[in-house]
Amino acid sequence: MSAVSIAAPPRARRRLPDYTPWLLISPSILLLVALIAFPLLFALKNSFYFWNLQMGPAPMGFIGLDNYRMALSNGMFLESLRTTLLMTVVGTTVQFSLGLAIALLLLRRLHGIKMTRVLLIMPTTIAPIVVGFLFRYMYDPNGGLIPWLLTSAGIPLPAAGLLGSPSTALWAVLFADIWQWTPFFAIVLYAALLAVPGEIVEAAKIDGVSPWKQLLHIKLPLIRKTALIIVMLRFMQIFNTFDLVVVLTKGGPGTSSRTLGYSLYQAGMVDFNIGVSSAMTWMMVIIVNAIIGLFVFFAFKDWD
Amino acid sequence: MEGSESVAGRLLGYAAMVLLLLVFIGPIIWFVLLAIRPAETYFSMPPVLSFKPNWESIRYTFFDPGNNAPQLLNSLIVAVGAVALNLPFSFPAAYALSRYKIRGRKHIMLWYLGLLMAPPVAFLIPYSILASLAGVKGTYFSMILISQTLTIPFSVWLMRSFIDEVPIEIEEAARIDGAGTTTILLKFILPMVMPGLIVTSMFAFVFSWNNAAFPLVLANRSTTTLPVGTLQYFGTAGVTWGFIASAAVAAMIPPMLIFLVLDRYVVRGLTFGSVKG
Repeated sequence: MSAVSIAAPPRARRRLPDYTPWLLISPSILLLVALIAFPLLFALKNSFYFWNLQMGPAPMGFIGLDNYRMALSNGMFLESLRTTLLMTVVGTTVQFSLGLAIALLLLRRLHGIKMTRVLLIMPTTIAPIVVGFLFRYMYDPNGGLIPWLLTSAGIPLPAAGLLGSPSTALWAVLFADIWQWTPFFAIVLYAALLAVPGEIVEAAKIDGVSPWKQLLHIKLPLIRKTALIIVMLRFMQIFNTFDLVVVLTKGGPGTSSRTLGYSLYQAGMVDFNIGVSSAMTWMMVIIVNAIIGLFVFFAFKDWD
Repeated sequence: MEGSESVAGRLLGYAAMVLLLLVFIGPIIWFVLLAIRPAETYFSMPPVLSFKPNWESIRYTFFDPGNNAPQLLNSLIVAVGAVALNLPFSFPAAYALSRYKIRGRKHIMLWYLGLLMAPPVAFLIPYSILASLAGVKGTYFSMILISQTLTIPFSVWLMRSFIDEVPIEIEEAARIDGAGTTTILLKFILPMVMPGLIVTSMFAFVFSWNNAAFPLVLANRSTTTLPVGTLQYFGTAGVTWGFIASAAVAAMIPPMLIFLVLDRYVVRGLTFGSVKG
């Protein structure tokens, strides 16, 4: 499970000019930088201009920081940032915990457990936009499977449906993401736990350490690196959610399920306000970089 | 642990396993059934489980001209194109990052990883306008090119983990015999990491196939891909649910098959090679 091994060929290295690795790496970096820098610089410029695509095909005048002010003042940005952070923290926590519980089940010797493991990953393989449709069908207030199951179990539901009610819409969107990605945590954590040396666990067992403490104090610290990587990945992916929201709720009702990604999508692709959406692009990119930076600083200090 | 387990404990285990399959596989089967249900049973409650299959949705979406069949081909062209374009960029980079202990290697790797965590939505509007200005909007090329922001970083990470496993001695021997880097890369490393390269390409294919964000803004009606094609039945009356399901199920099948075939490598692919499953 170790991330990478360092394989430096000392003899070969001396014989080679130093720029060889850079010749091999730079084409990919140059292409990627071009593909990222152009849109970002273009957005940076547009963020200082008034530009609505419905009014004209070109920017309509320099307005300084007004787009940023507008995005921040009408609550569009900050409110959706709060919603997104809530969804991201809850989503990552639930997926990790459920995934860990399932991983422990997968480690047991039961008939059919291998087949279960192979099939379990299927939700993760589906395009998020398709998962959105799948859940829209299952959430339908007039005959969807989920409302029917819940009502049959005696659980009262909002009249407007799970997606149509401000108190449940965000959680209904998040539930679809949890359904899709809990298997991802389960499978990866299963593989990591499988690689924990048996002797360590045996020794702990002989010392009378309870199974719960074995997990918490021995196994989890040993798979820390793997756990951190997947937590970071999923944290960022949930933070960036927008396609599920497009299909399921369009951010509604009201603003109850409007994620940061969807706010940006709406400003640009629905309202055609390129100026405001560009300002939001930059704010979002800065926030995402800051979060990744925090992860890297705290979690990957001793990495590689 | 398993040997000393009580009967009740084992029964509980089996119950949990069945529940797991119901929760995570049940909805997929339910959606597949939607594609072949008679329209009057789409929303009948309690759910109708036995019905005479109705092939109308599949016929309409994939056998009537101009509906979803061309999108299947578009998805294939874009995903195969994205993988093909990414290899000459990612393979040399993965090799260099595996074999040379250059300064800043960790940061380069983290930079690639950062790209995989970037918000696609932030780039959609600039890409859309820039593609129009460059006159490539609606082309396969624009989608294949922009997909590189995902396929290159992914492939570098995963391929590097495979190259790390190739013993260095062969290269050293070849170098002593006077082989240059290009020769070593193509004649010695490439054949040895071919399985890893194929695995990487298959996962990159899924990555690109499932991406809906870029085709959403870059494709036009005739070049749009299958996952995005489901949106065309969106917002209209409920009768189109069968069409949505039919197109969506077709979009689901290739990634599922690839994951089943690559079972051994699934963990490795999903973690970009950082966890060897």
